[in-house]
Amino acid sequence: MTEQSFNTLIKCEITASTAKVNGQTILQRTDASEDWFSQLYHAIGMQYPKFFKMDRLCKAGILGAELLLKDFDYDRENVKADWGIILMNSASSLDNDRHFQETIATDNYYPSPAVFVYTLANIVTGEIAIRHKTGGESSFYVMPSFDEQLMNTLVNQAYMANPELTHIICGWVNVDGEEVDVRMKVVER
Amino acid sequence: MEELINKLKEEIIDVLNLEGMKPEDIDENAPLFGEGLGLDSIDALELIVLLEKNYGIKLKNANEGKEIFKSVRVMAEYINEHRTK
Repeated sequence: MTEQSFNTLIKCEITASTAKVNGQTILQRTDASEDWFSQLYHAIGMQYPKFFKMDRLCKAGILGAELLLKDFDYDRENVKADWGIILMNSASSLDNDRHFQETIATDNYYPSPAVFVYTLANIVTGEIAIRHKTGGESSFYVMPSFDEQLMNTLVNQAYMANPELTHIICGWVNVDGEEVDVRMKVVER
Repeated sequence: MEELINKLKEEIIDVLNLEGMKPEDIDENAPLFGEGLGLDSIDALELIVLLEKNYGIKLKNANEGKEIFKSVRVMAEYINEHRTK
C-alpha cells in the first residue's frame, strides 16, 4: 500500500436524491418534477449561467466542486498552477452520448455543437478548471468501479510528478441515466 | 422586423439554454459576444445551425458570422435579406 502524502480538507457526495458535505446533508430532493441538478444549483446560491449549457456529467462535477469550494478560502481571481484535478468514473460520457445519438436519429438532422462538445468524459475536468481557475495537473480516468486506494495512489503520483502542486480536487463523478454518484474531495499536500 | 427580432430572441434563449432570461432582457442592439450576452464559440456554432435549420441560410464562411452575429438586430436584418424559408 502506498503511503498517503496528503490530507483531506473537505469531502462531498451527491446522489440522485441527496447532497452532502463532510457527511452533513445539504439538500434532500423533495420535488421530483424539477431537475435535481437545477434544484441543487439554486439551493447553494450558485451564479454561473454556463451551468445550464452543460451535460449532466459536467453539471454533477461542477456542483460537486462548488459544494467543496463555495466556502473555501482560496484565490478565486488568478489561475493557480498549484491546484490540480483528478477524477474518474465508469460510465465515461455515455449519458450524453445517448442524448446526442437521439438528436441525430432522424433524417435531415442538425447535430447540435453544444451537445456534441460534451461527448467526452474529461470535459468535466476542464469545466471545473475554468470555473475555479485551476491550472495544474488535470486528468480523468475511466475505470470499472470506484477504487479509493487507486485514487489515492494517483494523487500521490501527481504530487511526486508535480512538485508545485499543493491542492487537488479529486474523486468519482459518475452519471448514467438515473444513477448519480459523486464522491469528491479536496486534498492538500 | 420587430416581430422577427422577438422571434429570434426566443429562439436564441431556447437553443443557447439561457436559463431565466426573457426576450425583453436581451437588448437587440447590444453585442451578442464579448460584453453583451457573453456567448462563446460553441454558441456561435449553435447560431450557425439555427440560421440553417430555421431560415435555410447556409453560411459559406464561418467568418461571416462575425458580422452577422454583431447583435440580434443585425442578425434579423441578415435573415430578412437571405432567408429561404
